[in-house]
Amino acid sequence: MKLRVLSLCAFACTACAFDIDDFFDRLDTALTISAFHDNLRARLSGTLDLEIYHFEQPAPGLIDSSIDTLFNPRLTLFLDAQVGSHIYFFSQSRLDRGFDPSDNGAQIRLDEYALRVTPWDDGRLTLQIGKFATVVGNWIPRHLSWENPFINAPLVYENLTSIRDKSAPFSLFDFVYGFYYYQKYAFNPVIWGPSYASGISVSGRLDRFDYAVEMKNASLSSRPESWNVTENGFEHPTFSGRLGFRPNEAWNLGFSASEGPYFRREAETTLPPGRDIGDYREFVLGQDAGFAWRHVQVWVEFYEARFEVPRVGNADTFAYYVEAKYKFTPQFFGAIRWNQQLFGDVSNPDSGSVRWSDDLARIDLAAGYRFTSHTQLKLQYSYQHETTGQGRDNHLVAAQLTTRF
Amino acid sequence: MRLRGLLWFNAVFSIMPVALWASAVVEGRVELPKSHTAPVQAKRYEIVTKGGVLSTQPPLAVVYLDGAFPKLASLPTKQVAQKDLTFVPALLPVPVGTKVEFPNLDETYHNIFSYSPAKRFDLGRYRPEERPIPTQVFDKLGLVTLRCDIHEHMRGLILVLNTPYFVMTDTDGHFRLSGLPAGRYTLKAWIDSRTTREKPVELKNDQTLHIDFP
Ligand SMILES: [Cu+2]
Repeated sequence: MKLRVLSLCAFACTACAFDIDDFFDRLDTALTISAFHDNLRARLSGTLDLEIYHFEQPAPGLIDSSIDTLFNPRLTLFLDAQVGSHIYFFSQSRLDRGFDPSDNGAQIRLDEYALRVTPWDDGRLTLQIGKFATVVGNWIPRHLSWENPFINAPLVYENLTSIRDKSAPFSLFDFVYGFYYYQKYAFNPVIWGPSYASGISVSGRLDRFDYAVEMKNASLSSRPESWNVTENGFEHPTFSGRLGFRPNEAWNLGFSASEGPYFRREAETTLPPGRDIGDYREFVLGQDAGFAWRHVQVWVEFYEARFEVPRVGNADTFAYYVEAKYKFTPQFFGAIRWNQQLFGDVSNPDSGSVRWSDDLARIDLAAGYRFTSHTQLKLQYSYQHETTGQGRDNHLVAAQLTTRF
Repeated sequence: MRLRGLLWFNAVFSIMPVALWASAVVEGRVELPKSHTAPVQAKRYEIVTKGGVLSTQPPLAVVYLDGAFPKLASLPTKQVAQKDLTFVPALLPVPVGTKVEFPNLDETYHNIFSYSPAKRFDLGRYRPEERPIPTQVFDKLGLVTLRCDIHEHMRGLILVLNTPYFVMTDTDGHFRLSGLPAGRYTLKAWIDSRTTREKPVELKNDQTLHIDFP
């Protein structure tokens, strides 16, 4: 009897899922327009994410919340437009509680907008101008909620280090132990999320190789406010690039590099006398590999980063992760990600040698189910452990329901 | 054009044994919906891309004779290819039990899947040169919506029918269904996922019936 009710429910769900898909397909058609004999085409689409996080204090990653259970809804709207066959424009705007999950009130932002020109059909050269995700690494193509097997980003994109971009440390002690004195968002990760900084990029494909270089107004570690061109000009640009190699469709290998000053303008007065923002830079080297075949996808990224820190010297860190996703059935997938970030020593004659942040390891486990081709539920558990210092732990449980249209 | 010819050939060929006794013809026109909106490809994070736009495929209808017909012993294998980031053909009518191949003719990965109740599957990512070509057998009646996990804009349809007597219209909506058995049936015109028109027909041997679906 139970079984029959269950199968009846399953049948009803399936039937209604089909209707939902049909509804969203119709909505898609309604939100797509074309004019001038299809030479101008535009499509409005988006996602609605409902997220719940439960964690211990201090909140892990880029989550900024004094409440341990955080509800974080997010509406994202995309506009994709095609003019002729060589011009493409896109934008992403969001309504949420902050760029990263936080207990703030609602805010609306234009997170990305870019104009792309592809003069040749073979894709040897593409020019893009606007505010858009970095070309570095291989996480960007799957950073949005529908594509990301997890709810959060790999550790290197969200683990706050001792680096602060709003003020220079006044001593090595202040640099290394700043966590006890400053607010969470005083600090920066090696790469802040997808890094939607403003600028231009040149990219293209030559046979099995592809390249992309960009000039942006902010370093990879810089905070979302610094990405706006109205807030931060191009006096201190960051240059980044990636060289990719695809031996075949299954493999995608890449080398990335980035270099640029990481302090914000307001830090100028806190720098040592006679120095300016341009004297303190963030250097990043990255190696990435991706593999996909049938129902398996694997990604690996390694990052070596160096920050030039006033009154401290060079602060080096190494971070990597290995991520795998497997589709068990057409609708159900699982994912696992192992992340680690290790920090070097900084030293000065007074304090001796000391590790500049605590080494960290994190394992992320996720399971996802696609009810329809427009709705997806993800569950994630993360265990984070400091492998040096006090050895603090943090457990994160999160759920994310995404509806895309 | 060649594809349509093939379809005709297939439709005729597959009903050969029955056609020996069947010689009625129905022809006419289906009022097709306005042209589809041109698809837009989202390539926001695919910064290394080619130029070009997606082709627009005109809407077509499927006209078929509904009824209880004997199952065909062998059904030819059909194909839905992925070419230039679209499904070719965008709409494929097949009799129930047909095996469909999904060759990837692009230089990039595709990941074809369907969550339709009539057929749920996910082919995963496979390279263009991989053999055997992934296939699925469509053994349940209904409409199957094909999608791609990598290219959100890709949409294809497979209409699984209970009859060997079906034909696709041309872009003007004209159709001609020949070699039909005599008798009383319902002639149906599938127009889109929500619209199927039908008319009762009485077919007689060596007679051509004219039916329009307004
Ligand atoms: Cu595809």
